[in-house]
Amino acid sequence: MKDKLNNALVWLKGKGVDYADARMVRIETESIKVTDDTVDTFSRNVNVGVGVRVICNGAWGFAGVSSLTEADIKKAANKALQTAKASATTVKEKVKLAPTEIYKDIYKSPCEKDPFDVPVHEKIGLLMEISDRLRTDSRIKTAESSADFYKTKKIFCSTEGAEIEQDIIESGAGYTAIAYDGKEVQKRSYPNSHRGDFATRGYEYVEGLKLLENVDRTREEAVQLLTADPCPNTVTDIIICGSQLALQVHESCGHPTELDRVLGTEISLAGGSFMQIDGLDKLKYGSDIVNINADATIPGGLGSFGYDDEGVKAQRAPIIRNGVHVGYLTSRETAPVIGKTSNGTMRADGWNRLPIIRMTNINLEPGEWELEDLIADTKNGIFFDMNKSWSIDDKRLNFQFGVECAWEIKDGKLGRMLKNPLYTGMTPKFWNSCDAICSKKYWHVWGVPNCGKGEPMQTARVAHGTAPARFRQVNVGVSK
Amino acid sequence: MIDRIKAMGILQAVLKDSKGDMAEAVLENNRLSLTRFAESKIHQNIDTEETTLYIRTIKNKKISVLATGDISEEGLKKAVADSAAMLVHAQTDDKFVSLPQPSATKLNENSISEGTSKYTPELRAEAVERIAAIGRKGNLEASGAFRIETKSLTVANSLGVERYFTGNNAQLSMTLSGIENNSGWSSAFNPDASKIDVDGLAKTAAQKAMLSRNPIAMPDGQYTVILEPAAVGQLLLMLAFMGFGCKTLYEHRSFMTDKIGQKIAGDNFSVAEDPFDKSFNNQPFDYEGTPKVRVPLIENGIAKGVVYNSYYADLMGEKSTGNALPPNNSFGPYPKNMVVASGNSSIEDMIKSTEKGILITHFWYINYLNPMKTMVTGTTRDGTFLIEGGKLGSAIKTMRTNQSILEAFSGIAEISKDEIVYPQYSVLMKVPAMKINNFNLAAEEEETNKC
Repeated sequence: MKDKLNNALVWLKGKGVDYADARMVRIETESIKVTDDTVDTFSRNVNVGVGVRVICNGAWGFAGVSSLTEADIKKAANKALQTAKASATTVKEKVKLAPTEIYKDIYKSPCEKDPFDVPVHEKIGLLMEISDRLRTDSRIKTAESSADFYKTKKIFCSTEGAEIEQDIIESGAGYTAIAYDGKEVQKRSYPNSHRGDFATRGYEYVEGLKLLENVDRTREEAVQLLTADPCPNTVTDIIICGSQLALQVHESCGHPTELDRVLGTEISLAGGSFMQIDGLDKLKYGSDIVNINADATIPGGLGSFGYDDEGVKAQRAPIIRNGVHVGYLTSRETAPVIGKTSNGTMRADGWNRLPIIRMTNINLEPGEWELEDLIADTKNGIFFDMNKSWSIDDKRLNFQFGVECAWEIKDGKLGRMLKNPLYTGMTPKFWNSCDAICSKKYWHVWGVPNCGKGEPMQTARVAHGTAPARFRQVNVGVSK
Repeated sequence: MIDRIKAMGILQAVLKDSKGDMAEAVLENNRLSLTRFAESKIHQNIDTEETTLYIRTIKNKKISVLATGDISEEGLKKAVADSAAMLVHAQTDDKFVSLPQPSATKLNENSISEGTSKYTPELRAEAVERIAAIGRKGNLEASGAFRIETKSLTVANSLGVERYFTGNNAQLSMTLSGIENNSGWSSAFNPDASKIDVDGLAKTAAQKAMLSRNPIAMPDGQYTVILEPAAVGQLLLMLAFMGFGCKTLYEHRSFMTDKIGQKIAGDNFSVAEDPFDKSFNNQPFDYEGTPKVRVPLIENGIAKGVVYNSYYADLMGEKSTGNALPPNNSFGPYPKNMVVASGNSSIEDMIKSTEKGILITHFWYINYLNPMKTMVTGTTRDGTFLIEGGKLGSAIKTMRTNQSILEAFSGIAEISKDEIVYPQYSVLMKVPAMKINNFNLAAEEEETNKC
């Protein structure tokens, strides 16, 4: 395969391109979803092809083909060349790539048990058992359990001489109980909403999720929510659980620090960012205890890999240090704008998509609090658990998150359950109100398998390490 | 693209080798030619073609779905064998009745527009240059995307269904923005790319951007709003996802649950799934090969029905409306070609008749809050203006809405005669502008702690 890719690159070099790379990507997926007593989805998908990226006359072109023949790869190379030439007619400044070390390497993600080798009946059996047990209360009208597995092989070659082969396995599972009493619909999920929790691990990750151990609690809480009091509209201190905080980091720190977005390339769709370059090393993004790093090197993190899709080695890069904005997620094209080299975040959703800046594992570093102590230290407040809804404006400033369930905190103790809870805020004010983060003991890297960005829409699998944290005087409920 | 003869040959070979009691094969071929631009220059220019074969095999009511991009002879053999092997592990689904039977209905097989297929990367680059030139006159940078999609869909099953369709379309959307945080947006969809008014769209976006300077903050409240068609489309799409599909109805998760035949919106609000509207020029059958039909969803404010695929139609004693999605989806059917009944007004008339209100170009990041109550949240974006004394006034800073869509569609004061086709998430919607009373909008907090 490497020879075929390199032959296309040699041909492009002969046509005088400034730079080109070719990526063969084969993604095998298995998706199983059980709804009530039925296997709603049992599908396998194999998607394989080659994408060729070209800079010619200072402009980008890209083409992809779902074929591995040498002739088709060359056709794709030619199409990429032609589109680059068309792009060049609007170029104001020629594309220049930051230098990067050139690697010839092989990377494999950690995997003890290949999920594609685990008998399907074992996986379906687990999901069926979960669904059966979730439905033992008649008020649970729908039970959904699912497992998803991805096996990706990538070969990357460039005109600069890179030759990188990567094998990445990703696994995850989760479930949701939906309760309905004729008027109200409520749901509870485990271990996270939106299809569960994921990692670049094998089936051992699913086995370690304690799925069965949490079925009864999940069912009971879904039913309890039907008669819970609504979350009040108020301003109060809140403690946010790790999985919800993961999405908070995702939306209010991950996306606004994507440098392509900051530079305007996503303005027409996903929007821009309030974290502009003139605020780098100055913007007091959060309180002094807020430290956020982009770390693609964590073993098992869903946003971990060996090399990005420009051949840049995975790295750990500071984004927020002691509350100050100190870094961006960058690419070879964007990094020079801030005088840096790429920190390796360019990834594409398959062979037929152009790599764009994506989050890796964007982690809020842990603090020192015990969760029990943190609750005890909160006189009045609300504990927010697990995402249900999210929305943030196009500059990533004004956000509103809804969660599945909340509990009142009164005199340092968890009290009554609250339904339909929401909290809203403005990003820097919110993060500056963070005064306590739980310790490493509570810290978990939450896999987010559905991060959307770009046009055509690309889905990336990313992650966020978080522990529960407290934020002072936040707008709660549908406060406006 | 893959023509009918080749596609049907592939599918029949798959069906012949299938070991199921019933089998279905679907071949989807998509070519995407996309030019994205930002800062008034092209930054992504792509041309990709992707083929996916889906095989759904049923044996003793066990169902497996396999998808592959490998349609070589060897790849097909492997896919058929894998599909059969998956059945060993599948569970019996007693709710399954049958794949669809063939229908004698003649359907259009080709809606390729020459104006679209001849719209080359060079023409798209030229369009970007024209947009950028209009932006430059107002010191505005242009960003957006010019998208050409060409598709063929072929469906065959072991009961005799055979359907083929190929078509193409174009979409152009753009944001023109200035250094004062001002921006304007416009977009168009047309099956014929050559009919897209590039200059007209750019002028509209530029005008909105120029008017968006020096925005003022408005207090929280319930406002009379004029929603431009795109904003209406965004709300309609959320409504469709929350309740116009049979699966959410079956699972009691739809706002239509127990409401069919009842009043759920204003008398002047009607929406139907209407795949035959000429402005869509869309495929006339679904991923099961079932011909699409017109389905009234809400008529004069009364809940009329939802859309079905064959599985849920059999389960719920209904007929499939031709809304099946690809076999490996778990979301369930939803409308793909909605048409909202137009009115007699215009955006200009709506502005004139409004003493105090807010004009909204479109929303951003709309998401569910409470699907049963059709509650959503989202923010305004790229052109929000105060209306006072029947005239368009100052630009308004970003506001957030927390709003029940059905409550909004119960308070429609005026509907425009003109409609646009608004595409989002592969759903096409023909939508008018609307003037709506008592629409919830909240101000963003002022940011005081930036540096």
